Amino acid sequence: MTLIRIIKFAFQNIARNVWLSVITVSMLVMTLLTVNILLTLNVLANTAVESVEERIDVTVYFKDGTNPDLVAGAQASLIGLSQVRDAVRIAPEEALARFRARHEDDEAILSALDEVGENPFSYSLVVSARDASDFPTILSALENPSFAEFIEQKDFEDYEEVIGSISRVTQSVRWLGAVLAAVFLFISILIVINTVRVAIYIYREEISIMRLVGASSAFIRTPFWLEAVIYSLVATFITAGIAYPVLVSLERYADTFFYPANAGVLDFYLANGLLIFGLEFLILAVVNILSASLAMRRYLKV
Amino acid sequence: MIKLKNVHKIYPPDIVGVRGINLHVEPGEFISIVGQSGTGKSTLAKLLFAEERPSKGQIVIGGWDISNIRPREVPLLRRQIGVVFQDFKLLQKKTVFENTAFALEVAGVRPSRIREIVPQVLRIVGLDDKLHRYPLQLSGGERQRAAIARSLVHRPKILVADEPTGNLDAINAREIIDLLKKINSFGTTVVLVTHNREIVNGLRQRVVMLSNGEVASDVEHGRYKLA
Repeated sequence: MTLIRIIKFAFQNIARNVWLSVITVSMLVMTLLTVNILLTLNVLANTAVESVEERIDVTVYFKDGTNPDLVAGAQASLIGLSQVRDAVRIAPEEALARFRARHEDDEAILSALDEVGENPFSYSLVVSARDASDFPTILSALENPSFAEFIEQKDFEDYEEVIGSISRVTQSVRWLGAVLAAVFLFISILIVINTVRVAIYIYREEISIMRLVGASSAFIRTPFWLEAVIYSLVATFITAGIAYPVLVSLERYADTFFYPANAGVLDFYLANGLLIFGLEFLILAVVNILSASLAMRRYLKV
Repeated sequence: MIKLKNVHKIYPPDIVGVRGINLHVEPGEFISIVGQSGTGKSTLAKLLFAEERPSKGQIVIGGWDISNIRPREVPLLRRQIGVVFQDFKLLQKKTVFENTAFALEVAGVRPSRIREIVPQVLRIVGLDDKLHRYPLQLSGGERQRAAIARSLVHRPKILVADEPTGNLDAINAREIIDLLKKINSFGTTVVLVTHNREIVNGLRQRVVMLSNGEVASDVEHGRYKLA
């Protein structure tokens, strides 16, 4: 019964300061949105890095007439390296077929190919790395004397720089986001303290009478704590309500960007949403309870 | 019921509230604390319901030494002592019933019990026909009756009334004093703090007179004489 009365007083607090409550919740929503933007950015950055990393490969072209067994040996040797994700051997016939398929609409190239008469392609290996930083190891592995002299050409793009750029930009945005989230959190704390202070002021007469007729300190204080928890809960629900449609449209846009890969933001939230918003609520509630306690310590003499 | 032994209350730096008060009030007694403004009457009342702590000395209420009462024990004491003030301290947005019930609500009493107790108490103070009126719809005397009803819902052993007639005309003041006498007749110890000479003299009960924070006189069936 006491609990019901405490809940009633907490909702009365909110209702009597409805505009202040709206401002408080808005600020908390801003804080949570910033945190979620940061989180989304993190997921997108990871997807971008993974997507680039998956495309990292080096194509090793062997000289004409290289023994297929030697190419197979080189392939096995490379696959044995922990830094190598995969090494695919492409036979001359397959290379020719791919070339024809790629240029099927280009008459000039196809007729030039026919002019040559024989298959101009040799054996090649497409080696993909696990990480951009693994390139030096892979390249030095290709210096292996048992097959180095049969290699005609090594062709790779410097993805390391692309990944570095993504990481640098992401890191900067993460820092900026973290600073913004901290600023919003600080403002939220001040606003919650002020909201509770105003509620204490509005309730001062009722509080003095409560004390007079024997209300315990916990009975007087708990509605203010509960008010802080309610603000956190409402802010979390509103943030989730805003985040979902935004994520759906963001995913649609990001998917075309990362095609054929999936941006993964929506999947990430669908899989971890409960945990993410649950944790955000918990942290916000704890921070707000502490803020309310600070306000009560300063302004509520019970 | 109430024992004060050499009680001092000094406000920093050296303002004397009360000094060296020795008082013994028996259960069921009706005692008037009188004196001019600033003589320590209200300080003495506040010491009784632990709104203030003594700087020195001992205060025992019903065998409970409250001289150094802990903050979390104060609500328990307040449920045993009814308190009434000159300015009524009623919540304007609550009806007479709700104001009276409020004291029980904050103590966690069940609604069914509240619905049982409140009308009984309001009948005692003569407000049983004004349950749903707001304080602003009541006369001064009725407001004080509502405040007294609220102080009685816990069935306190002691009722401390600090200038309960201060805001009332003579007729309403008389009615409030009659009500306090009626409550006293049920066995409740009444401590009346007042500077109203006519009321005290009409009571013909024990009168303790304070002067400069000290007990100037303590007379059974006394009268309030100007010093």
